[in-house]
Amino acid sequence: MEESEKKSIITKKDLRKVFFRSMTIMCSWNYERQMHMGFMYGMAPILDKLYADDLEEKKKAYKRHMQFYNCTPQLTSFIMGIAASMEEQNAQNKGEYDPESISMIKTSLMGPFAGIGDSFFQGTVRIITFGIGLSFAKQGSILGPLLAVGLFMIPSLLTSYYGTFLGYNSGNKYLTKMYQEGLMDRIMEFASIIGLSIVGGMVASMVDITTPIKFAAGGAKLTLQSILNQMFPKMLPLLFTLAIYYLIKKKINTNALLIGIIIFGIIIGALGIL
Amino acid sequence: MLIKAILLGLVSIVGVIDSRLIGRQNVGRPLILCTLTGLVLGNLKAGIILGASMELISMGFVAIGAAAPPNMQIGSIVATAFAIISGASKETALAIALPVAVAAEFIDILMRMIIAQFGHVADKAIDEGKFKKAQHIHVIWSFLLNSILYFALIFVAFYFGANSIKPIVNSIPTVITHGLTVAGNLLSALGFAMLLSTMLSKKLFPYFLFGFLVVAYSNLSLIGLTCFSVLLAFIMDKVNYGGKKAAK
Repeated sequence: MEESEKKSIITKKDLRKVFFRSMTIMCSWNYERQMHMGFMYGMAPILDKLYADDLEEKKKAYKRHMQFYNCTPQLTSFIMGIAASMEEQNAQNKGEYDPESISMIKTSLMGPFAGIGDSFFQGTVRIITFGIGLSFAKQGSILGPLLAVGLFMIPSLLTSYYGTFLGYNSGNKYLTKMYQEGLMDRIMEFASIIGLSIVGGMVASMVDITTPIKFAAGGAKLTLQSILNQMFPKMLPLLFTLAIYYLIKKKINTNALLIGIIIFGIIIGALGIL
Repeated sequence: MLIKAILLGLVSIVGVIDSRLIGRQNVGRPLILCTLTGLVLGNLKAGIILGASMELISMGFVAIGAAAPPNMQIGSIVATAFAIISGASKETALAIALPVAVAAEFIDILMRMIIAQFGHVADKAIDEGKFKKAQHIHVIWSFLLNSILYFALIFVAFYFGANSIKPIVNSIPTVITHGLTVAGNLLSALGFAMLLSTMLSKKLFPYFLFGFLVVAYSNLSLIGLTCFSVLLAFIMDKVNYGGKKAAK
């Protein structure tokens, strides 16, 4: 416990509540403000405590956290921790503190954090743990689903739990440092390299597109696939993935793509090309 | 049949809990939901194996931001249940899962619109000083709406579809089953492409290719690839940022 000029109102117990509540961040996800109510819900125990005897301030604070929000669930508790420490300063220095800065920091953090968090948790950790799980599950082993989820939960829960306290205790300090030293980009790139290379590996090992096309060459029967396997194995999965990626980048609606691909698959399957 | 239908409805709620209440720990992925479906129907092993193939085609389907991918949670529960009770093949199961998943996606879209209206009710509650109510709208109303919808969907599909599914499954022509298998494999490419669209840039393209080529030519396992990728990330970090620190 640090004895600074002002005693802190928020306790470890309060922060633990924030951690548990941060997991419901997506509960009321919607098209308008996405996770806005989730953020309000996470901050509620803090706001109730800080503004217990000032109804008008409390309403303002609740409204402050009803603004648009969207970020990776696992990193949300960190941002809530920072917001909690800022709300505390606001409550202790009434009139001197600009509450707008709380909204500012939220808005400026959620973008880059979502970028890092989604590609790390859903793009990298999930792909690895489910990749491991799948290799067992294909044989019908119960280890498959257990490992997939169990291994995923370890980094996921640890990040959310400790993130809350880290955000509250030293969030502001770390962030300025991280931005100043350009550490944000560095972490992002580090995670992206691992994530992308694993997605590349998954495309090679898990997208199963082969062609049954046969032709005769000088009396010997050849299949196109065996030639492909010799020269460029997994060429078809790569080509299709990149072609679809290109279409997504061309802003073609994913629903249209989805239905298009199903129809394309049935036709090309019936023709015996794939 | 009634009890099984209720239990399967509850399995779909596991998926709801995953995203809505526990911050997406991925217990709502098709692999897990199919395993539970297999457990309910007394054929755990079939559930796991079907789950693996459902998971494979939906590996890249993640609701990131506002993108609404096909609802493979609903699709895979329905398909796994029908495949187990009718003894259908993996391919036929996929043929059932895809259309169901696409249809169920529209329910998700509708739900997200309704919840946007909940947001306005919560705004008003805060204005009136009813803070508890605002919190309940978030955590109870939204959760119940989603749970009831998913439960009803699975319950109705299974309770009324279970008896008629066998002749339907048997009457699906092989052209369609084969075509949908091809489509399923293409869809796994769509999944990865969707994942890539949030991660990939020109500058980072070589790393994607690196992972692909290593596995394509050597069949290295994913754990092995992860080790190499971490090493590569360390090396690139040194190359890109190592010098800067020394200059300081």
